[in-house]
Amino acid sequence: MNKILAFILAGGKGERLYPLTRDRTKPAVPFAAIYRIIDFTLSNCINSNLRKIYVLSQYKSLSLSRHIQLGWNILSSTLGEFITVVPAQQRINEQWYRGTADAIYQNIYLLQKELPELLLILSGDHVYKMDYREMIKFHLDKHADVTVAAVEMDKKLSPEFGVIEIDSESSIVGFQEKPTEPKTLVRSPDKILASMGIYIFNTEIVVRKLIEDAKRDTAHDFGKNIVPEMVGKHQVYAYLFKNERGEPHYWRDVGTIEAYFESNIDLVSESPLLDLYDPEWPIHTYHPPLPPAKTISDGRGVHNSGAVMEAILSGGCVISGGEVKRSLLSPNVRIEKSAVVEDSIVLEGARVKENAHIKRTIIDKESEVPAGMYIGYDHRADAKNFTVTESGIVVISKGFRAR
Amino acid sequence: MCVVETLLIVDDEEHQRLLYQEELSEEGYQVILAGNGKEALERLSESVPDLIVLDIRMPIMNGLEALGKIIGKEKGIPVIIHSAYSSYKDDFMSWAADDFVVKSSDLTELKRKIRELLDKKKAER
Repeated sequence: MNKILAFILAGGKGERLYPLTRDRTKPAVPFAAIYRIIDFTLSNCINSNLRKIYVLSQYKSLSLSRHIQLGWNILSSTLGEFITVVPAQQRINEQWYRGTADAIYQNIYLLQKELPELLLILSGDHVYKMDYREMIKFHLDKHADVTVAAVEMDKKLSPEFGVIEIDSESSIVGFQEKPTEPKTLVRSPDKILASMGIYIFNTEIVVRKLIEDAKRDTAHDFGKNIVPEMVGKHQVYAYLFKNERGEPHYWRDVGTIEAYFESNIDLVSESPLLDLYDPEWPIHTYHPPLPPAKTISDGRGVHNSGAVMEAILSGGCVISGGEVKRSLLSPNVRIEKSAVVEDSIVLEGARVKENAHIKRTIIDKESEVPAGMYIGYDHRADAKNFTVTESGIVVISKGFRAR
Repeated sequence: MCVVETLLIVDDEEHQRLLYQEELSEEGYQVILAGNGKEALERLSESVPDLIVLDIRMPIMNGLEALGKIIGKEKGIPVIIHSAYSSYKDDFMSWAADDFVVKSSDLTELKRKIRELLDKKKAER
């Protein structure tokens, strides 16, 4: 195997995920009850046998650093393996990272130290399961200078993504940044190829390009500057993230509260799009030592007391006489007597008190829903205390307590 | 009209600096001197030279670190690395310079590269 160094860009502010990103960077946002978004990318690396990983952090990185320190201290430094969180140090420039390319440029000394043949650049913002070895093999087979991972998606999503145009050999011939009128696939005019923000570069080339870019006034971004400028001058390929039948694999940006909500709630269905139960592809995370989840009826014969239907429960949860439907409960959640939680995401350590009713709501960590309160039933009333999205999803920010 | 071209020479050895000043002044350049990377950045904040000749091994702030900061601040000033150690060519950051001249007691090569880069810069304008 060629010497490969992975960089995970984990500085995303995730502004459209506010208030979930009020206290944490997007990669540190909890997902699927027990994980953080970055766990998917890190697990992909480990499952792809890549064990030299730098995580480049920037904004609100405490929660991320702590999670990685607690949960990802799993490699052997004796064997030269590492997962290291690198905060922005302003070592070259006295500025924050100005773009994805600048983040790598400012850490060029890390490349110097490892001298990899290939550089794998990843984003810590996305949820997906991918064997990077297949993409590396593609890159080598094509003798590419850079390979960009791309996934097919609906044309209507194009304003949110970089859109890639390829020829029949998967060579990239054009790039459009968040276009409203995108180039669509030849065989299906309602589909586009979206960049996944994953790049494999030959090290020498990327170093030269990063230095050229640093000397100029650009957005210092791989997707906007570095890669588009290489098209036509270098071997630039797209690796299509799809299965043997040609269908796109699961990949989610979870960039908005709506997308976050839908992709979480989908996990409680019978056959979710994202399979968390595949022994061939374990998703690692930090999991504290917790007692098993438990549900209790209140013993007074109340209908559905202690009932859980279509739900994900985590360690340490106690449903003591409440009712839970189509919801995800992170560790240490308490649902008290006669409380009802429906179509909701309840994050770690939150408590829904007696007789409270919760619907289409995300309750962030350590929050407390007061006894008897109804949330998700009247959006105007909810908006007084909480964030309510256009589609009516309520978000209770971290640590909420009734005054 | 003939504008005098300004060179910023960065080297930690005083006798070297004076030698460069003498020889390059004879060529008609105006020469500004700095003794390390930090001083070079200070000179840069005072005035913008046409070209920088940069040693690498210097105390306080070495040439490669200074180079990174120069690129961030002043885009478009040609930089020649002038070091006794050609092994620095393997250092990624040295690739940010426009040229690399290995130090020698004969300054012919350095003078030639200075001229070449200044002419190239003029032609690009």
